[in-house]
Parts: sequence; C-alpha cells; structure tokens
Amino acid sequence: MSASLTMIGQRTQAAGWDFSVWTVLKWAVAICLTVVAVFPIVWMVNVVFAEPGVPVSINPRLVPTSFSHGVEKIRMIFTETPYLRAYYVSIAYSLLTIAGVLIVGSMAAFEFALFEFPGKRPMFAVVMLSLMVPSAVTLIPRYLLTADLGWLNTMQGLVVPGLASAFGLFMLIQFMKSIPKEMIEAARLDGASHFQIYLHVALPLSKNALVTLAILTFMQTWGNFIWPLIVAPSPQLYTVGQVVGLFNAPFSHVTVDVVMAANLLAALPPLIFFLLFQRKIVEGIAMSGTKG
Amino acid sequence: MIEKKHIPHLLMVFPFMALFAVFFLYPIVSGLIYSFHDWNATTQMRFVGLGNYERIIASRDFKKAMWNLGTYIVITVPLGIAVSFCLALLVDSFKGFWSNFFRSAFFMPVVLPMFLAATIWRWIYTPNIGLLNTIRGWFGLESVQFLNDTSTMLYSLIAVDVWVSAGFNMVIILAGLKNIPKHYYEAARLDGASKLQEVFYVTIPMLYPVLFFVTTYGVISALQVFDTPWLLTGSSFSDYGGRQNALLFPVMDMMGRGFGELKFGQASAYGFLLTAVIVVVTAGMFAFRRKGYDA
Repeated sequence: MSASLTMIGQRTQAAGWDFSVWTVLKWAVAICLTVVAVFPIVWMVNVVFAEPGVPVSINPRLVPTSFSHGVEKIRMIFTETPYLRAYYVSIAYSLLTIAGVLIVGSMAAFEFALFEFPGKRPMFAVVMLSLMVPSAVTLIPRYLLTADLGWLNTMQGLVVPGLASAFGLFMLIQFMKSIPKEMIEAARLDGASHFQIYLHVALPLSKNALVTLAILTFMQTWGNFIWPLIVAPSPQLYTVGQVVGLFNAPFSHVTVDVVMAANLLAALPPLIFFLLFQRKIVEGIAMSGTKG
Repeated sequence: MIEKKHIPHLLMVFPFMALFAVFFLYPIVSGLIYSFHDWNATTQMRFVGLGNYERIIASRDFKKAMWNLGTYIVITVPLGIAVSFCLALLVDSFKGFWSNFFRSAFFMPVVLPMFLAATIWRWIYTPNIGLLNTIRGWFGLESVQFLNDTSTMLYSLIAVDVWVSAGFNMVIILAGLKNIPKHYYEAARLDGASKLQEVFYVTIPMLYPVLFFVTTYGVISALQVFDTPWLLTGSSFSDYGGRQNALLFPVMDMMGRGFGELKFGQASAYGFLLTAVIVVVTAGMFAFRRKGYDA
C-alpha cells in the first residue's frame, strides 16, 4: 500500500502534486479534525432545517433537508417566545459594554501610556495586579454591591460593573505606547487642548487596537452567562444566554429542533462577526497570549 | 503635590479608576468582611470568625467538588494543550489558503459562546436519539447515558471543554511557531534530525514560554470552570452538579451556597478559599518554571 503510494508520489510530483504517504495522511487527519470541529455546528443547522418529528433512523440530519420548516421554527421562536426581547437585551448589553469599555479604557490608557502624573505608578500596579485575581472572588460581593445600589434587573446593573476592564486597559496601553511623543507636542503647539489631543490624535492612531478590543469585548459579552444569570433574573431582562438555558432546561417540553433553532439564533451574531473579522480576532488573541 | 497642570491627566484617568475602585477593590474588601460573618442578605450580620471557612472545608460537597476539580484539571489541561499543539503543527504544515482554512475551521468552536457549546453537546450526548448514540447504534452498540452515568460524566465534560478551548490555544501556539527562526530547522535537518526529533529538540524548547503561558492560563481558567458543567447538569440553583454530584465544581458549589441557600457569608469565604488555591497553584507553577530554567 505505502509502496504503491510512494510510486504514485514519484510519478505525480512532476506535475506539481505531492501524493507521498505523509501528505495524504496529513490531509486525511486535517479533514477528519475539521469534521470534528465544525460538525456539531453544522448538525445544529441540519436539525433546524429538517422536517420535525421524523425519526433519526429515517433522517439522520446529516444535511439540511427542509428549508421551509427551518424558517417556520425560527418564526415561531420569534413570535411565541420572549426570544426577540432577549435579542434586544443582549445587543444593548453588548453595545453599551463595548462603548463603555472603549471610552473609559482609552481615556485611561492615553494617560498611562504617554504622560507622567502623580499616582501613576501605584494606580497602574494595582490595576495590573487585578489581572491575576480570579473573577470567582469578586463575583458574590460584586453582586451584593449591585443589589445595594438597587441595580438588580436593570441595564446599568448588567453593564456598569464590567466596564473597568483591566485586560482592555493593558492592551490599549501596549498599543498607545508606540504613538510618537513628537506628534503630541506638535498638536499642543498648534493650540490643541489635552482632550482634543486624545480625541483627534491618540484615538485615530489607535484605531486598530480599538477595533480588536471591541470585537473581543463583543464576543465576551455576548457569551457572558454567569453575570446576567445572577444580576438580571427577571424575564424582562433575560439575555440570549438565559433564554437558551430555559429552552435547554430539562422537562421544558420543547423538542430538539426548536432548542437547536434557539441555539442557532444565539450563535449567528458571533459566527457572522468571526467570518467578517477573522484576522482581527485571531491576531487579538495571539497578541494577548504572546505579550501577556 | 498635585499641581494645576496635572489636573487634566487625573480627570482622564478618573472614570476608569473610579469604576475600578467601586466594582473591583470595594467588592474584594467587603467580600473579605462578609466571609467572616453569617449573613443571608436580610438579617443582621453575625460575626463567626473563621467559622465559614471551617464549615466549607468540612463539608462533603467541598471535598467532592475539589476531587472532581483535581481529576478534571489533571486530564483537561495536558490533553487540551497536546491537542492544540498538534493542531498548530498541522495548520503550520499547510501553506496559504489551506493553512487559513484549517485554522478557521479548528477555531470555529471558540467563536461559539460557551453556553451554546454546552447546550449543543448536551443534545449530542442525549440517550437513544442523540448524535453520538445514533452513531453508536450504527455499530450495534448500546445507548449510553453520557450525562447521567457517573463513570462517563466527567469525561463527557472534558471532551466538550477540549473541543471548545483547543482552537484558542492553537492560535497562541501558532503565533509562537511563526517566531521560531527557520534556520534552526535547517540546522537540525543538516544534522540528520527526523521530523519527530525536530519537534522535540527544536519546536518544543523554543516554544517553552508560550507553552508555559498556555498551561498557566489553562490551569487558572480550569480552576474556575462553571458554564459547561452547570449547563450539562440541572442548570438551576436547586439542581446542579448532576447525579451523585459527579459534575460538581467549586464555583458551582459557591454559587449554590450563595443563591440557592442564601448563605452569602459562606459563598464569599468560598471565593477566597478558591483564590488561595489559585494563587498557590500559580506560584507553584512559576517556581517550577524557574527551576526548569536553572537546570
């Protein structure tokens, strides 16, 4: 077998193709792993776009079989369950968090990266130390504080406690450090105020880092399960994650295909984001990993 | 000491630092105070000293959760990193379009929110009609209750977590692979090294800092595992951890004590206990690394 493969390899290499055992094996493994990685997601789509109630022995859901039934399920979820509302909540939660993290973080990063002022070093040290504190320790007291503020079941309760992102600050500082001091001096000589320099010089120059941070924050907020679960337990403020949890709860009397339709709707925004911003996401993660 | 010219700087830092102080520093301090009190959020706080800590450590749930956590980490972290390392090598061996294609494919599970991965897998594991049991059926194998049989539950969880996190670590390792100078491999090849020897004598030593980061990060996040086991079991404050608590983990136990039994003092103490464990484990890993360098 391997001998004949190498022979084919020798013959075809001339044509620019490499069919050695090693290469064939490599491709086989890569394709199998792709199936393992992607199939559960594809399977979710197949279950949604299939005629409901047909047993798996007849239709094993290996490919989508009925477009109209899938659309019908999605329509049903949007009209007969609180899903649409949860979608609004999750989108508002994500957008407000992104806006807050970027504004608050970039203002502080601008100062930490480019200027000297009293208290800079201790403040920076404390924020960086906080990166090492596990979120488990702050979770309960942070919840109790939010409750004391009367913010349970409110949008500010969801958003505000998560805005001071030490990771975001660190990432923006790393990036803003490379802004040349001369540009800031030049702007100052032109009569720009401190805030104008931040707005018109520093922010435009950090566009790349801001976009990457925005994407990572979106992924994280959209997928945040534990904080909405405790802070916004009222159905009025259910996020997509909580609604998916409800669909999924045992004895919820919802069939698999409807649950999968709910899952698919929750997966769409991050999947679309990933397809659009693939490079930025991968670079952002690689950057936080190799520099951190 | 604070001069007029510093005021604009301080104003710009203020929003971040204020939010940070209120929602990070204050909770740590108040949490420490709660942890020494018996308190259910409505009655008066009652000082109990180290009582909460003692009660947690003595409880059966804590022992079970810690035992589960230990087993889980010992398997998940090395397995996860081995898988992501192999994925990275595989992706790196392709060029151009296919390299990007396989990278994206392997990264896909990371993009899904964790809660979704758990719910999808819950259905894949379903007895009789689930995907895995359907496939087992084709080979004439009996249906397995993956999430209700204490001998398979932990492994079912590990499979989901490796599936979810492998792509994330792969991307970090890939970035590390790109930084290894090509002539190291050429030198190894001239010395007659095989592919396998190249991996063990060039790639792994050169990747040491990256692998260390991935391991440390993996251990720290594994110590706080919550979403997946929560959603693979009962997913409510009255029912979690699964049959015989086979999927009970410390953060779940903490959440249950806090929001299920309203013992907020105990729950806060639990958080600090867990932090102590994390600090000790991380410090241990750094000490180990220092030793590795000296040797």
